[in-house]
Amino acid sequence: MLRARWYKVINDLFGNKTRTLLIVLSMSVGLFALGIILSARTILSDGLAESFATIHPSSGTVRTTELFDEDFIQSVRKMEEVQDVDARRNISARVQTASGEWKNITIFVVADYDDIRVNKVASQSGAWPPPEREILIERAALSVIEAQVGDVVLVRFPNDVERRVRIAGSAYDPAQLPAQIDGTPYGYITFDTLKWFGEPYGFNELHVIATHPENKDWAQQVVNRVKDKAEKSGYTIPMSMTAEPGQLPMDDVLQGILLLMGLLGVLSLFLSIFLVVNTVSALLTQQKRQIGVMKAVGGSTLQILGMYLVMVLAYGVMALLLAIPFGAYGARELSSVLAVFFNFDIYSMDIPQQTYLIQAAVGLILPVLASLVPFISSLRISAAEAMSSYTMGRGRFGKNWIDQLLSGANLWFMRNLSIRSILLSVRNTFRNKGRLTLTLVTLTLGSATFISVFNVRASLTSTVEDMIKWFNCDVMLTFDRTYRADRVEFDALSVPGVAQTDVWIQLPTRFVRSDDSESGMVYMFAPTVHAESLIVSPTIAEGRWLMPGDDNAVVVPSAFLQDEPELHLGGDMMLKLDGKKHTFKIVGTYVGMAFLPLVYTNYDYITQITNRVGEADALMVKMERHDPAYVDAATRALEDHFERIGVRVSMVSTINNERTEAEASFDAIVALLLVMAILLALVGGLGLMGTMSINVLERTREIGVLRAIGAPNRGVALVFILEGVVIGLMSWAMGGLVAIPMSQGLNQALGQAVMGVPLTYSYSMPGLWLWLFIVVLLSVLASFIPARNASSLTVREVLAYE
Amino acid sequence: MQESNSHPNLHKPGSDQTGKSFGHLVDLREVVKTYHSSAGTFTALKGVDLKVESGAFVSIIGKSGSGKSTLINIITGIDKPTSGEIIVDGIPVHEFNEEQVAVWRGQSVGVIFQFFQLLPTLTAVENILLAMDYGGHYHRIERPDQAMHLLELVGMAEHAHHLPSALSGGQQQCVAIARALANNPVLLTADEPTGNLDSKSTEMVFRLFENLAVSGKTILMVTHDNELAERAQRTIRLVDGRIQDEFGNR
Repeated sequence: MLRARWYKVINDLFGNKTRTLLIVLSMSVGLFALGIILSARTILSDGLAESFATIHPSSGTVRTTELFDEDFIQSVRKMEEVQDVDARRNISARVQTASGEWKNITIFVVADYDDIRVNKVASQSGAWPPPEREILIERAALSVIEAQVGDVVLVRFPNDVERRVRIAGSAYDPAQLPAQIDGTPYGYITFDTLKWFGEPYGFNELHVIATHPENKDWAQQVVNRVKDKAEKSGYTIPMSMTAEPGQLPMDDVLQGILLLMGLLGVLSLFLSIFLVVNTVSALLTQQKRQIGVMKAVGGSTLQILGMYLVMVLAYGVMALLLAIPFGAYGARELSSVLAVFFNFDIYSMDIPQQTYLIQAAVGLILPVLASLVPFISSLRISAAEAMSSYTMGRGRFGKNWIDQLLSGANLWFMRNLSIRSILLSVRNTFRNKGRLTLTLVTLTLGSATFISVFNVRASLTSTVEDMIKWFNCDVMLTFDRTYRADRVEFDALSVPGVAQTDVWIQLPTRFVRSDDSESGMVYMFAPTVHAESLIVSPTIAEGRWLMPGDDNAVVVPSAFLQDEPELHLGGDMMLKLDGKKHTFKIVGTYVGMAFLPLVYTNYDYITQITNRVGEADALMVKMERHDPAYVDAATRALEDHFERIGVRVSMVSTINNERTEAEASFDAIVALLLVMAILLALVGGLGLMGTMSINVLERTREIGVLRAIGAPNRGVALVFILEGVVIGLMSWAMGGLVAIPMSQGLNQALGQAVMGVPLTYSYSMPGLWLWLFIVVLLSVLASFIPARNASSLTVREVLAYE
Repeated sequence: MQESNSHPNLHKPGSDQTGKSFGHLVDLREVVKTYHSSAGTFTALKGVDLKVESGAFVSIIGKSGSGKSTLINIITGIDKPTSGEIIVDGIPVHEFNEEQVAVWRGQSVGVIFQFFQLLPTLTAVENILLAMDYGGHYHRIERPDQAMHLLELVGMAEHAHHLPSALSGGQQQCVAIARALANNPVLLTADEPTGNLDSKSTEMVFRLFENLAVSGKTILMVTHDNELAERAQRTIRLVDGRIQDEFGNR
């Protein structure tokens, strides 16, 4: 038989179902958000690692200019330090999309699709291996080329052979950058199909796994040894690179997102704690009178404490029963979306145990701890005081300067305005300052996160603009080899629409360290440097940009100096060009991508030391007009012209496309962040709803008085809706301020992860105004239901309310 | 049903031989109020007939549970009768829904509670102005002056800008009375208005009621204090939900 006091606990829990529901919902929303973020983070991290392990990732890639055969592969496979090696043919071709646009496409030719030993590619749908004269497209790339399995696409090889090829199926190749992110689709064909395109048999890309692939330094040494072996065998190496051990190509970005998710997880943990503390405090404030009664009839502190702790635990258990399954569902959905975006498979959707433990701790232990503070304060007052009905409602107003400012004669000048109900709302807001603080903290964090996400988006756009503004041109054309610079410039200028041209030369190079070891591939861009140059200085971090008279000056990405500690501004840098070492002087560093190091030197000097004087392999073109339609049309005309005169263009990039693609890839990241920000905002909104509901419950008597003095339904509801809006507006203003450092932190984290440097800071005013609109809407909605409930109470009910 | 003419001093102004009322501000006809709860059914009012003429100062007395608060709540529309009719100033209040009755009450009735029930975040004058905003009896330009006038009437002008928490119980009840007068209502009701006051404050508040009665306000006041009740013009005694007797005091 239960003791009587436990009946009270049960009756309190189930007697006031609305209050129980509100408290349980408030608590469970925070726990739900926490569960989603914690679980999704683990599912994605584990999924990424597992997904990557299954493909036998390469330690590095070595590309050759000349083709090699199986004998060379076997000879590399025999190297002691090489665990395994596989080879492919890598072809930069072009494909025509359904809309008629030509896009670059990388086509891999694999000898045996059932025996891919390194960077495994798997069948996703349709035929496997690709039938002769047909192609497989990487699953993430189908949307990029606007095609589906079964469609026929026109493919143009660098040898100008064009063939209509049927897409026989889709493949899954997680070793490549997802096509929707870098804009480059991937296709897979057999050597028979290659022959059909008029290309000879042979490989040009080695994928190497070192004996200790987890050791990056060792892996790099092994890749260098393979590259040396290739060079000794007479092959030219235009590119080699070492991968980060155990990391997919987009790992940096995903890690950045996971880091942000972790930060948001911590934030939602705080939000959950605030929600829990808020609701439990409010519950105990409501029960103060009953505590007084129990004390009056002889209840000991321990007995009463025990009752309320059990009650609070019961709320926690109910909240967890809701939050755990919904959180797990949400985490799985979010993980699936992210996995599709980053193009990897998730093998296990198991929810990590630590998520349950953290949720349980937040849901059970924190409410108990939170309830101790208000409980102890309620113990301090006498039973008589606790039971007193002398004052109406709870919370004190008039105690501090804010209250003084808002009350009394200070606002008498507004006496002719019918603002009493507004005053009532505004002052009620400040009545229970503890609860207001908790609600504000919750909602402010939500606001700040939302605004920060928009700031990150604005900063990403600014960063893209910063990078693109280096290029004062509309189109960049890359040729399959070097041509005479004056000839290609002259030919280009003869095409209608072309206003100005400039040339540069680009070379693969490697940094040679003092111990004679070599870095991975570094791209050297050598633009012409003069007053009308179409490439202007990138954003210089330190030092200066190139000058016309510079000889061996080089400008390097600042992130590269972090990776190579022996390099410093003003110091020397030895670079290997065409197998020969040359010493350059670092005159400046610029803000740029970390994972694709580009160094800039003077065109005249480089062409001189590499015997390419007067030659160029890239052309920058400025059109007469810069709108995308005009640029695209003029570019097509230019390509056609070059084709007619035998100048082979291997790649075309318009600045508009580059910008769109860069922004589109960032937009996807921002969209994901936005989903999480909305989740946090919802937590804040529900927190506000919980607060407003508890305010309504606490002020039930006052509602009766309002109705007794003639307030209509609308009048009663308005008091609470306005109070919610006041809280929303305060959180908006504070969130706007907190967003400044928060978005700087996010910019730092995301920028470092993606580009090695913080993003160019930008504060999004549209984001601020959009959130103002949303927060007002959210506040009205959050207050509307409690307000409607308040207005539907009869006066007798509320005046009888305890 | 308790006959309302059982007292020798009974007077029934405004009614004819058929019992049809004329000139009565409040007219209750066979009002029954029954509450249902898990403990059972309880009938608080058992067919009450009551007429109150305009300008009367009526006190309602009775023991706890006799139905006096229920009666006053029914008259103000705070509670609804189970059966019967309530006509106030010619308006059938029992036909109103909760929204309509709130608006009517704001315009026509001033309600005074035992625990004052001033809104704690509004100053004395703002509490009155809020009622004026809802009632809309005065033009908004007139309201501040009218509110100050009412505070002067109850002797609280110097406390106009004080929050209720800075006022004594008696002072709060004076402000509550001023608030009840905010829209110049035809009827004032008060449920134990001095029940929570000391004797000095009780006297101060009761004098206010007396002055209001002299000035022609119709007042219905529930009290448990027989001495105070006798200072009203007319006293109604409720016993077990019926009017047991009714007598004029002066």
